[in-house]
Amino acid sequence: MKGGAMMDEWYPVGLFSQLSEKGSKTWLMGEAIEVARDRHGNAQVITAEGRALPIRVRYGHVWSSLGNPEKELFAIPEADQPGRRFVDVGVVRVRCSPLRAVENFLDIAHFPFVHTDILGAEPHTEVENYKVEIREGVDEVWATQVKFYQPQAAKSATGGITTEYMYRVPAPTCSVLYKTCPPRPSEWDVITLFVQPLAEDLCDVWPWMALFDGETPMTDLIHFQQTIFLQDRSILENQIPALLPLDPGMEIPTRADLTSVAYRRWLKRHNYTYGAQLVAQ
Amino acid sequence: MPFDGAGSWAPVALSSDLPPGTVIPAWTSVGPIALWRSQSGRATASSDRCPHRGMRLSHGFVRGEALSCIYHGWSYAVSGGCIRIPAHPDLVPPETIRVAVQQIEEAGGILWAAVGQPATQPPQLDELVPLRSLSVEGDVAAIEAAAGAKIDARGLIRLPEFPWIGLLLAPQEKHTLLLLMIDRDRGPADRIAASRIVESIRRAAEERHREIAE
Repeated sequence: MKGGAMMDEWYPVGLFSQLSEKGSKTWLMGEAIEVARDRHGNAQVITAEGRALPIRVRYGHVWSSLGNPEKELFAIPEADQPGRRFVDVGVVRVRCSPLRAVENFLDIAHFPFVHTDILGAEPHTEVENYKVEIREGVDEVWATQVKFYQPQAAKSATGGITTEYMYRVPAPTCSVLYKTCPPRPSEWDVITLFVQPLAEDLCDVWPWMALFDGETPMTDLIHFQQTIFLQDRSILENQIPALLPLDPGMEIPTRADLTSVAYRRWLKRHNYTYGAQLVAQ
Repeated sequence: MPFDGAGSWAPVALSSDLPPGTVIPAWTSVGPIALWRSQSGRATASSDRCPHRGMRLSHGFVRGEALSCIYHGWSYAVSGGCIRIPAHPDLVPPETIRVAVQQIEEAGGILWAAVGQPATQPPQLDELVPLRSLSVEGDVAAIEAAAGAKIDARGLIRLPEFPWIGLLLAPQEKHTLLLLMIDRDRGPADRIAASRIVESIRRAAEERHREIAE
């Protein structure tokens, strides 16, 4: 099967708050599935052949898998922290590899050019050195001490600040971003990217946030994040090849791309190759 | 297009389609190109893929004498060499980071890209002036049938009923680029007429193409 080791991972398949008894049809790694709420209010995911798939409901989303996940769905401790606002941003469908969507999320060097005057602005284009590691115990990719000048880092930001980021990749199509929290400097805002692989070159991106921001209206928070992801989509649908090349030689990384380099290495090591291109073509 | 053994010339756009400081997507049989014109007016055909992350350079932007990728701002000179990586402003990019470029010739209001290394110059079309470019959902044969004539050695169709109109054709990946030309001595009324005539030829060619596809 094409899915390789990724078959046994958890994927978001919908927002729990939007489930209906009628159900909605979608795909998971090329297979047609239906996501619904049963009579008792529980989420259920069923394949076209009627096979019931494993379920988790967490971080506002319904999670499922075509295989048999050995690992529990990754933890986000901040999801249980009092005082945070949880934002179901919704969905952006992107005609790209789910792995390319995650890699773009891990990248800061594009901010001045793609998210101009929001997450970055010329001439503040330099990416300073940061730390990247694959944490062996938890088996996650981590990038820390990532710093970048941002004109409007968040909806709650009132001017340009140097923002600090930490990135975490706990699953092949999911990333958790910890980011300087403008109203509460001692805490991190949490912004996640949950990617549902519909096919190798098509995905639904479900951003989700856990913020300390009691002020901004929910609609504005959602619009801010939607704007960012729509800007990313104009990039993601125009990369060649569509699949993420895991072999060196096809693309040229620099020091600013060390998170991407570690992510690709981690994917390859685990045979997480759904949406990847292995041999340079 | 005329092929002289070492290469040929493909029309890729009208000069007027490409003002200074802009980039547009174009295509030859070598592949997709980012066709751009520097601030000083020089036209360049760069391979339409940034080697950093594979982003299409035709989505990029032109500043001064360089083309920049819209993703991370990597900038490429007319020669194809990368001259700037904004994430590392102090780094001089190694010479190995470059995009392929195809030779461009501009004559009579048409931009020609070299496919291979043609020993000759692009076809002479001095008696004609270009009017507009169109994209036709159909191949050269469908356009020939709609026009009632075949392309000549220069890639040009002269319409039998309106011999003062010329259609310069360039096959693309999934469609055909059609450059509408008209005899130099014709006035504004003929230009409007030519534009309408070519629209009807396009419709006929596309209809024919759809019928064959079904």
